[in-house]
Amino acid sequence: MNDRVPLVQMINISKNFGTVQALKNVDFDVHHQEVMGLVGDNGAGKSTLIKILTGVFPPDTGEIYFEGKRVVIRSPKEARAMGIETVYQDLALIPLMSVSRNFFLGREPVACFGPFRFLDKRKMDRVVLDVLSQIGISVRSPDEPVAVLSGGERQSVAIGRALHFGAKLLILDEPTSALSVRETHKVLDYILEAKERGLSIIFITHNIYHVYSVADRITILEHGRKVATLQKSEVTAEEVIEIVRSGYNKKR
Amino acid sequence: MKNVQRAGRVLSSPRSLFFWLRYHPEFGAIVGTVVVFIGFSLTATRFLTADSLASILTVVAELGIVSAGITFLMICGEFDLSVGSVLGTSAMIFALTSKAGWPPFVGFLVALVASAFIGLLNGVVTVKAGIPSFITTLGTMMFWRGILLAVTGGFPVTYFPKGLPFLFFVLNGCIAGQFRVSALWFLGLAGLLNIVLTKTRYGNAVYATGGNREAARMLGIATNRVKIINFVISAMLAGLAGCIQFARFFSVDPMRGFGLELEAIAAAVIGGTHLSGGAGNLVGTIFGVFLVGMVRSGLVQAGAPAYWYQAFVGLIVVIAVILNTSLRRWALR
Repeated sequence: MNDRVPLVQMINISKNFGTVQALKNVDFDVHHQEVMGLVGDNGAGKSTLIKILTGVFPPDTGEIYFEGKRVVIRSPKEARAMGIETVYQDLALIPLMSVSRNFFLGREPVACFGPFRFLDKRKMDRVVLDVLSQIGISVRSPDEPVAVLSGGERQSVAIGRALHFGAKLLILDEPTSALSVRETHKVLDYILEAKERGLSIIFITHNIYHVYSVADRITILEHGRKVATLQKSEVTAEEVIEIVRSGYNKKR
Repeated sequence: MKNVQRAGRVLSSPRSLFFWLRYHPEFGAIVGTVVVFIGFSLTATRFLTADSLASILTVVAELGIVSAGITFLMICGEFDLSVGSVLGTSAMIFALTSKAGWPPFVGFLVALVASAFIGLLNGVVTVKAGIPSFITTLGTMMFWRGILLAVTGGFPVTYFPKGLPFLFFVLNGCIAGQFRVSALWFLGLAGLLNIVLTKTRYGNAVYATGGNREAARMLGIATNRVKIINFVISAMLAGLAGCIQFARFFSVDPMRGFGLELEAIAAAVIGGTHLSGGAGNLVGTIFGVFLVGMVRSGLVQAGAPAYWYQAFVGLIVVIAVILNTSLRRWALR
């Protein structure tokens, strides 16, 4: 698996916000069909790194390669078109909109009626129910507003959406924070399921135990620098926690 | 899949009522309209005559066109306080050009383009400067009203055509007794906007922009563009309402449309549109406007002094929002 060109390679990425250096010469890569954990304290630069990868803002320096090709990603839409799908903690779904409208937001199937294009509601509903039942979620109706779903159900709808639209890289931002123990396990299962289907996953979290249970490798950021990238087989969860902590202590 | 859908929709269990309410914030306005209609039918003797209904419809249509545009804009999370001034400006442009002997159609187009321009300005300033549209449009509301007063010196402008120009008939002629074309404009436009809102990709983008702008942006929706387009729609509909009103009065004074913005917002809110965006529809607004329109003429016919109207509408707005909010909480429990 590691002998192929990585799915994503970010080389020497730096980013400043005014006088604050958010990222300093960070190298980061994700292989095909790999779960990469991305951990670090608040302000370590995790979300900045991800927002650069998803085109929310450009890096000051550095290069990004996707499937071996140099790419410049200018917007979240471009990232999505390339197959990079992001599930943000609170920004994955619009609560007041229905499950099926959320699922297809920005990519709705349309049926032509003369010169007009209308949403193909029937197709939307059918696909949503199919996809969700495949990954084991039952919603009462695709017309149900997302607001009535639990946190875990919302995460899984968003993950199901990424699977359906043929994502190659799935980025999950704190997918298990604010979830019950049972729901956390479900979401972790969906992550493995997504990997099983050939996706690569970046799993951003504070919770080392959650990421340790599903990750292949773990990258630790601290104050905008990369502290280490570790093969999970070579460390224990406690050692990862110790590195996160000592990386922090070394600075002070 | 069919079964799952049926479970939500058709079964007459309490659950299906929950379900329906979740997606139909206009419920309160429909009930309110029916109650008020029955109430006035019983208390105001002339309420159910054709003339009375036609006069209600005339008021409803002009207010409704403005309110439809505002609803569309409010759903994407923005506000437009300048619609009253835009209505006045547009009517004034139509009046001045008609008086100057321009073909009515040309004057009408100029008025609409000017309205669209004001809307564009509202949208671009709001989005680019990143300030609340409440402030932007409060500013433009006062600005255009001031221009209007300055240009006319405060005097009304009246137009005396030889016969009724065809465009004036199309805009607001009488089709049957006192029933006017404006009602068709209102229902047609509100229906069209509702189809766009509920059945097209653009409509989805509008709901998403108002529901959670940041999330919509992350999902690739051009939220700034959606907002600017909706500002233009809102202003153009206000401009159209101004021309339609001018086609009824053949006269316009510089205070035309003053205070209308609040009535239009009230009607949208009564109809279940969220003040903060993300929810609402045109069906609710249609009923909200009818409720306001009926109260306006019904109270007078029931023998109450005209001044009571404002007080009454004020009460209705607060009660409607309390009801809408608690219904929604109950449904989303």
